[in-house]
Amino acid sequence: MGSRASTLLREEEIEEIKKETGFSHSQITRLYSRFTSLDKGENGTLSREDFQRIPELAINPLGDRIINAFFPEGEDQVNFKGFMRTLAHFRPIEDNEKNKNPPATEPLNSRTNKLLFAFRLYDLDRDDKISRDELLQVLRMMVGVNISDDQLGSIADRTIQEADTNGDSCISFQEFIKVLEKVDVEQKMSIRFLH
Amino acid sequence: MMMMMMRTRPLKDEDGGRHPNPRTATKTMMERNERQQQEKEQEPPGRRFLRSRAMKKARKTRGEERNLGELCPKRRKRSRIMTRRETRKEKMRRIRTRKRRIKRQAGANVFSLHDLGCFLHAVLFIVLKQSMKVTEVHYRNINSSSSSSSSSDPDEESLSEGEIAALKEQVEEKKKLIATLRNKPWRMKKRLLLLKEAQDFVEKFEGALGKGKGRRLYAFKVMMTKKLIKFNRDFENFKTACIPWERKIKEVESHFGSSVASYFLFLRWMYGLNLVLFGFMFGLVVIPEVLMGLPYGSIPRKTVPRDEQDTAMDFSVLFDFGGYCKYSVLFYGFYNNERSIGLLQFKLPLSYLLTSVGVFGYSLLVVIRTYAKDQHAGRPLLGVQMKGMAYGCYFLRMARNANEGGDGGDEGEFIFSWKMFTSWDYLIGNPETADNKYASITTSFKESIVDEQENQKDENIHLRRFLRIFANLLILCSLGGSGYLIYYVVKRSQDFAKMDPKTLTWFENNEVEFVMSLLGLVCPPLFETIAELEDYHPRIALKWQLGRIFALFLGNLYTFLFALFDEVNEKLETEKSIKNATEWTLHQYYANYSSFYNTTSVPPPNVAPADVIRGPCWETGVGREFVKLIVSDVQVTFLTILVGDFLRAFIVRFLNYCWCWDLEAGFPSYGEFDISGNVLGLVFNQGMIWMGAFYAPGLVGMNVLRLLTSMYFQSWAVMACNVPHERVFKASRSNNFYMGLLLLVLFLSLLPVVYSMMTLSPSFDCGPFSGQEKMYDVVIDTIKAMPAFIGNIFTYVSNPGLIMPAILLMILAIYYLNTVSKAYQQANTDLKKKMQMARDDEKNRRNNKDSTNQMMKDLEDLLPNKSLAPTPVEEEKPLDIVIDKTRTKPGTAGKGVLVQKEDSLAAQNPRRPVTRAPGPRGGPPGNMRSPQPEPGRGRGQGAAQRR
Repeated sequence: MGSRASTLLREEEIEEIKKETGFSHSQITRLYSRFTSLDKGENGTLSREDFQRIPELAINPLGDRIINAFFPEGEDQVNFKGFMRTLAHFRPIEDNEKNKNPPATEPLNSRTNKLLFAFRLYDLDRDDKISRDELLQVLRMMVGVNISDDQLGSIADRTIQEADTNGDSCISFQEFIKVLEKVDVEQKMSIRFLH
Repeated sequence: MMMMMMRTRPLKDEDGGRHPNPRTATKTMMERNERQQQEKEQEPPGRRFLRSRAMKKARKTRGEERNLGELCPKRRKRSRIMTRRETRKEKMRRIRTRKRRIKRQAGANVFSLHDLGCFLHAVLFIVLKQSMKVTEVHYRNINSSSSSSSSSDPDEESLSEGEIAALKEQVEEKKKLIATLRNKPWRMKKRLLLLKEAQDFVEKFEGALGKGKGRRLYAFKVMMTKKLIKFNRDFENFKTACIPWERKIKEVESHFGSSVASYFLFLRWMYGLNLVLFGFMFGLVVIPEVLMGLPYGSIPRKTVPRDEQDTAMDFSVLFDFGGYCKYSVLFYGFYNNERSIGLLQFKLPLSYLLTSVGVFGYSLLVVIRTYAKDQHAGRPLLGVQMKGMAYGCYFLRMARNANEGGDGGDEGEFIFSWKMFTSWDYLIGNPETADNKYASITTSFKESIVDEQENQKDENIHLRRFLRIFANLLILCSLGGSGYLIYYVVKRSQDFAKMDPKTLTWFENNEVEFVMSLLGLVCPPLFETIAELEDYHPRIALKWQLGRIFALFLGNLYTFLFALFDEVNEKLETEKSIKNATEWTLHQYYANYSSFYNTTSVPPPNVAPADVIRGPCWETGVGREFVKLIVSDVQVTFLTILVGDFLRAFIVRFLNYCWCWDLEAGFPSYGEFDISGNVLGLVFNQGMIWMGAFYAPGLVGMNVLRLLTSMYFQSWAVMACNVPHERVFKASRSNNFYMGLLLLVLFLSLLPVVYSMMTLSPSFDCGPFSGQEKMYDVVIDTIKAMPAFIGNIFTYVSNPGLIMPAILLMILAIYYLNTVSKAYQQANTDLKKKMQMARDDEKNRRNNKDSTNQMMKDLEDLLPNKSLAPTPVEEEKPLDIVIDKTRTKPGTAGKGVLVQKEDSLAAQNPRRPVTRAPGPRGGPPGNMRSPQPEPGRGRGQGAAQRR
């Protein structure tokens, strides 16, 4: 498996991905072998069905949203580069990265980008705002029909009321950041990738 | 080799040793995904297919269910029931999958052993064939044969000629760089960085190119590092596997959540503690007496009296801990008062006393230490200076996790938002767990709604008050009633004890234990029913419930103790008369003997040990009561589990096929695991062990057995017969409460023992302290036997003139610590307030800005280095600013920083002016700053200083 992965993946590509995502060489090859094992069609890209085979995503109420995050708008295939770009959001922030002078562009795994990823999960129509309707839809996914519509509505209202600071009855990204200020996003939205 | 690592990893991770709480929402989001992915890779495709099909099926059913449910709620309910039934059917399959997974893990272990073998093989090869150049080849062969993968070192394998040349060139370049670095006109920081990078690079690739220190060494080094990593990983796995019941508990945790698992952790902790106590008790008291003391039948206290001998081996008597049991090493009475025994001159009476005290001391120590450690690891609870609350530590941890899980915790600000955004646990991969999580999210939302309603509720407060008082009265009545009942029963049993035991029925013999267990069974549900009247918030209701059960248990225990003391006093009376009689008889005997034979050397009376008249030996009596209580408690607990959980589950499961209504979803349903009851039971059990250990040294050993069986039995029962809680047990606010209860138990169990040690006089003819006025006389005797100066020291130390100041000092220390903690608390709240104020301030500013200047915001969004999160990195920001300032304008540092800081609160990017091309002043920045509270200063100076 491993040897196939390294033969299929060219050195320049690895370098490119390395530069973009910050993954190490071995991590990239390893993830590539995973990518190929997920790829049932064996055409070098992953489809939504491929992702849905992952049980955690299959049972996750927001699983579809997470899967969506892998796909650029309007496409239903994702290649390895895109796959890595999304996964890079979950790379842990390393200690030496913190100390270094910040690079010109923000790395994909910064707190803001992690939060942005989470934000996009809730922002169904990609207008950079979470509206009451979007909240209701997500809530519906999360609790099923055990709670009445009125109550769900009041929950959504309360959520917006809590988070909204500028009175447009939507949650913008800034407000989202504010809400999750106390949450240790850096740690919680990180995956320990094997080295 | 890499495959090996991947294979062994899931083993470790499934143990999950390092993961504090799998329910914690969003924690290490999607980490499990990845893991699952790995796992999937390792599975053969057929199995993977099966599993994914099962997943799909589960998903499909739930999807349908959701659709159906949206159409009509009733059907949804039915469909849920159907799913549930289906889930049962699927359970078998899941178990099979689980077994398979375990097998696979075992396989991984085997593989790793194989790998280790390969490693040794490789090392041998290298050592033997060092002179030959084939080592590398071997190394590679081994590498590929062991795992068919070497993707991690592609530098070695997939290098073409050109690449090697390029690499060589690079290495040369780096070497040159290292040599000439000194002369480069760079900053030191950059130089150091470059030097390090270059050195690493050279070291890494030089060997690969077959130069430098040599290819072989390089290969060996690479292999060694890899093996070391793998070994470490295996060792970690091994360590995890060595923790007793870790896997069992994890399994429970994954199905029932951390709250149920916390009970089992507690149980395990208790088991460890008891094991140590058992070691003390047996090593220092029981074993010496058995090995070096006099054997059974040699002296009266070690012999069954003549009139009891006929029935001494009857099962009913033995089961009651009478007969041979009563005169065995299990109980206090068996021990001899000989000052030192055996070859080693072991001072058994002293050892007995010190061990009994030591058991308390050690328990206290461990409890405090565990608590302190946990406190250190967790949220610092300033101001809570309570010791000995380690029992609560698991709940503490639980509560902490609950808070981290985004339940809002003590942050009242964003309860709903957090629930909304962070409640799903992305690590869940099991459909059943997912269903539970759905339920728990739903419940938590419902709970919040309840909270909200509770806040806004205004209803008939007089009726509510009346009902609450009424309910409390009822509960007080039932508490008093149960106390009286126990007192009555104990009294009656004392009467029974005076009668001939043969005329009594079994019930009359075991009335006390029976009634106590019955009360423990009946009262908690009764309290729960009464508590309905009060209509408290569920969390508060839980506290009340816990408090009441605690009061019931405690009341029962203490009634039992008082009754026991009555009995003891009675026995002391009879003992005194028997003692007098015995002494009188002996005196008579000596007088007669000496007058008859006219000699002063009188041999002791020749009476068989079984025939000697002896006192009641109240200590053994007390010990027996405790042992009987523990045993009946075990019986009741196990029977309750068997009947209440197992039988119920059995009936529900199998009668469901031929019943009028759905038993699984309807009335009896499956039982839930009663955490609070079990924990309280465990705590009280431990209290009784502490109390009883002095009178019955064997009790600790029995308790170890009990805990052991309990562990296996309960974890089996919970997995087999219980269903996960519909409502996730939220203990977030009751941790202090738990701790209070537990502390009480510890000290309350210490109290009677110390009292009896200090005030009651020991029996004259049984136990290690017989013949002494008070038990602690043993210590005094020992001190007297020591050299004089030590005795003097003790006399000085025990002088009231020294003790009084010491006590005063301790009180002062407590007072001081208390004050300090209060001050810290105050500081804490002040800081919190300050932070809140700063946030509010900032919010206001931003609001102003947002509403007045939308354009500015848009502009900001366009900036490349926008930092959209201004506050989370607050600690770093001021630093940045200072550095900026000193670099650009050291002269105006003080004021500049101030202004800058203010600015940084308002605008989000303090470095904005640097990143933007210099342009004419005014315009957007001026506009932006205009709505600030001090527009004049901020505009003029701030802008001027920054440029």
